[in-house]
Amino acid sequence: MCISCQKKGCTDPVAINYSNEAEKNDNSCQYQDFDKFDLLTNLTNNYILPSIESYKNKVTLLKTSTDLFILSPNIINLNNLRSSWEETHLNWQDIAFLDFGPSEYILLRSQTNTYPIDTSEVNNSILNAEWNFHNATYNDSKGLQALDYLLHKPGYSDLQLVNYYSSNVNAKEYLKAIIDDLMVNINYVNNEWINHKSNFINDFEINNSGFSSNSQGSSISNIINALCLHYEFYVRRGKIGLPLGVFNGFSQQELPHLVECYFSGKSLQNTARCINSIRNFINGSGYINNDNGLGLDDYMNFVNAEYNNMQLSKVIDNQIVTILEELNNYNNPLSDEIINNKDDLLNSYEELQKLVPFIKVDMTSGLGVLITYQDNDGD
Amino acid sequence: MMEINKWVNHLTKNFVSIYPLVVFRIFFGIILFTSTLRFILKGWVYDLYLKPTYFFTYKGFDWISPVGENFIYGAFALLLIFSLLITLGLFYRVSAVMFFLVFTYIELIDKTNYLNHYYFISLMSFIMIFLPANKFLSIDNLLGIIKEKRFIEAWKINIIKLQVGVVYFYAGIAKLNYHWLVEAQPLSNWLKHQSDFPIFGNLFLNDYTAYIFSWSGALFDLLIFFILINKRYRIYGYVLVVVFHILTSIMFPIGVFPLVMIFTTLIFFSDEFHEKLLYFINKNKFLKKYQSEIINSKKEKNLLIKLLLTAFFILQLILPLRFLLYPGKLFWTEQGYRFSWRVMLIEKAGYAQFFIHEPRMNRKMLIENQNYLTPQQEKMMATQPDMILQFAHFLSSEFKDSTINESNGEIIYLGENPKITAKVKVSLFNKGSKDFINSNVNLSNIKRGLKHKEWILKYED
Repeated sequence: MCISCQKKGCTDPVAINYSNEAEKNDNSCQYQDFDKFDLLTNLTNNYILPSIESYKNKVTLLKTSTDLFILSPNIINLNNLRSSWEETHLNWQDIAFLDFGPSEYILLRSQTNTYPIDTSEVNNSILNAEWNFHNATYNDSKGLQALDYLLHKPGYSDLQLVNYYSSNVNAKEYLKAIIDDLMVNINYVNNEWINHKSNFINDFEINNSGFSSNSQGSSISNIINALCLHYEFYVRRGKIGLPLGVFNGFSQQELPHLVECYFSGKSLQNTARCINSIRNFINGSGYINNDNGLGLDDYMNFVNAEYNNMQLSKVIDNQIVTILEELNNYNNPLSDEIINNKDDLLNSYEELQKLVPFIKVDMTSGLGVLITYQDNDGD
Repeated sequence: MMEINKWVNHLTKNFVSIYPLVVFRIFFGIILFTSTLRFILKGWVYDLYLKPTYFFTYKGFDWISPVGENFIYGAFALLLIFSLLITLGLFYRVSAVMFFLVFTYIELIDKTNYLNHYYFISLMSFIMIFLPANKFLSIDNLLGIIKEKRFIEAWKINIIKLQVGVVYFYAGIAKLNYHWLVEAQPLSNWLKHQSDFPIFGNLFLNDYTAYIFSWSGALFDLLIFFILINKRYRIYGYVLVVVFHILTSIMFPIGVFPLVMIFTTLIFFSDEFHEKLLYFINKNKFLKKYQSEIINSKKEKNLLIKLLLTAFFILQLILPLRFLLYPGKLFWTEQGYRFSWRVMLIEKAGYAQFFIHEPRMNRKMLIENQNYLTPQQEKMMATQPDMILQFAHFLSSEFKDSTINESNGEIIYLGENPKITAKVKVSLFNKGSKDFINSNVNLSNIKRGLKHKEWILKYED
């Protein structure tokens, strides 16, 4: 049997002209009723709103556990607080890449999850009972990463940590202030989304540059630009590449202290969660019930976006699965693996790197999204 | 022979009404003013000329730069003033010269911002320098700076028509390629994102629509000049111009270009038409008849200007064809791509990573482009080899003779000509990202210039 003898036709089961006899895709697939309005409606109602609300609820629970711990500092309440923080942190990964609209406006990502944390600033603030979280210079001493430090202070046993908080009013206040800051921010974002979601869903229609499809400022463009930026800069670079030393000059000396969640060692689970969330979002999966709705994958299929004669959506999904499998190979905290297992991690990083052109070049051009902010006549 | 001579005289030396030129001056001036104002109000002066720290200059014009905040805002202020003066016909010649110089200077700052319609405005404002557009209905008249005239040599109107004709015709020629005609690319890709277009949305999803748009677009560009110069069909041609440009402006973000063309093509209409337009502005001018003036008008001898403008057009006719001198696929290599009226022809995207190499050991450092370039610059560079080379040279000079203190205590001396390589992925017409250039080539050793860039990889379909 030869490859060229394979029967050509549409091999995508979702297409209306799917042929179960076809063995080789001939690029003729047609998809019915693809509508950007439906796409944005699904992404907004089934992913964006529920994921933000879920994170908001996690922060509320985090506040309850914090209040409880402050009221009666003991090891049980400390561990309770830690697991609540862990849950919140994982949930954060689901919304971190939605950095457009209200989140972008208040710089939610920088306010929530800047690292590495400035531990001496944290300790000084506690010592002097003086901090101002409205000031962006405090971004690296508040948020989820400050909690990573404060709940897993190096050199402290659990009992010592409990004693530290029992005897330190400022530290308790500082914990509370961090949680309140998280609360204020996510309440704002959540409310804005609830109040303005129809603007977002309809945005591409009322775009002032006419019906110029996915031009700069349209919702589709915002989504994709945010997704690409988050993955390239904050995941590939920030979560893995930077601590691994890929960006560190010629020696590529590893910088393990730059990992996310350095003090708790929960880096890899957060990285995997973030990439998995990006996968769900691209595929249009519902946040709550995980059903397969209209997503960017369907949009890519609709415009017949391809890579090496394969559906681009498949290529992207396969690459994400490869990355997740790679990350699954490591059992120890990332900062340890970076030191003991650098070569393997460099190979894993290459897999992370491969996804960048797939989404930044192939996906954006397939979906007609310009990574730009200017009128353009196509040159 | 006599017939040809007569025809040439008819098009160049015969005296015709100045009205079309005056209408052109007013409309074009207003468009220059409003588009400059729009540019400033959108914050693009900052985005394009102040935010970037590095600029992709043109070879031979590397000395051009935005200088500083006051300078570049001053330049834009001058554009506003001169375009207003052109519209009013006040100090017209000086204003036309200055507008051309300032505008072209700004356009030469950074290749990133190259747009065909900016090129068109540069060319048009150059031509305007030589046209007596202030001889009627101008403040220069009122002040007595220049004598009122109602008749001018025909070439002073026809040259504008010729310029418009060159633009359309070459834009049409550029569309005569396999992708545009046979694959209906890039329109078939772009139209798929227009499914929400009112009424016609669903139509755009049909494959035939892309073919109809591509073919009619090519025919429009190739034929419109000939339709417009024909008295009988002119009005239909103009309706086509309006429909075509309004449609493209709704579908694609192309700024003011459609308006520029809709107003510029008015030049093809008759003297009577323009007389009616001017009558609205100043009735008094048209109460008396001025037939006698033709006879009194002396034929001017301005050989130098005529030679200059002839050379100007010959150059324009040659430039778009220079790509034929290069091997390889034009859309892939983009050698000889600019200044050729290739408008909305390709869908291309890229991603470039640059490395600087250590002289002694086989180690390299990854450059983070965003430390030097804006997202727009990075995007434009990633698909255009001459810009990739320029950025590599910039990096090489940036790191020249520098020492890097590594975080492990190593000290690395980079020498006087650090080696730079780049890994670039480019996708053309959405056919999947492919390696764009030879990633082993030391770009800092390659000279800039018009020579064929052998380090661009062959395009494989």
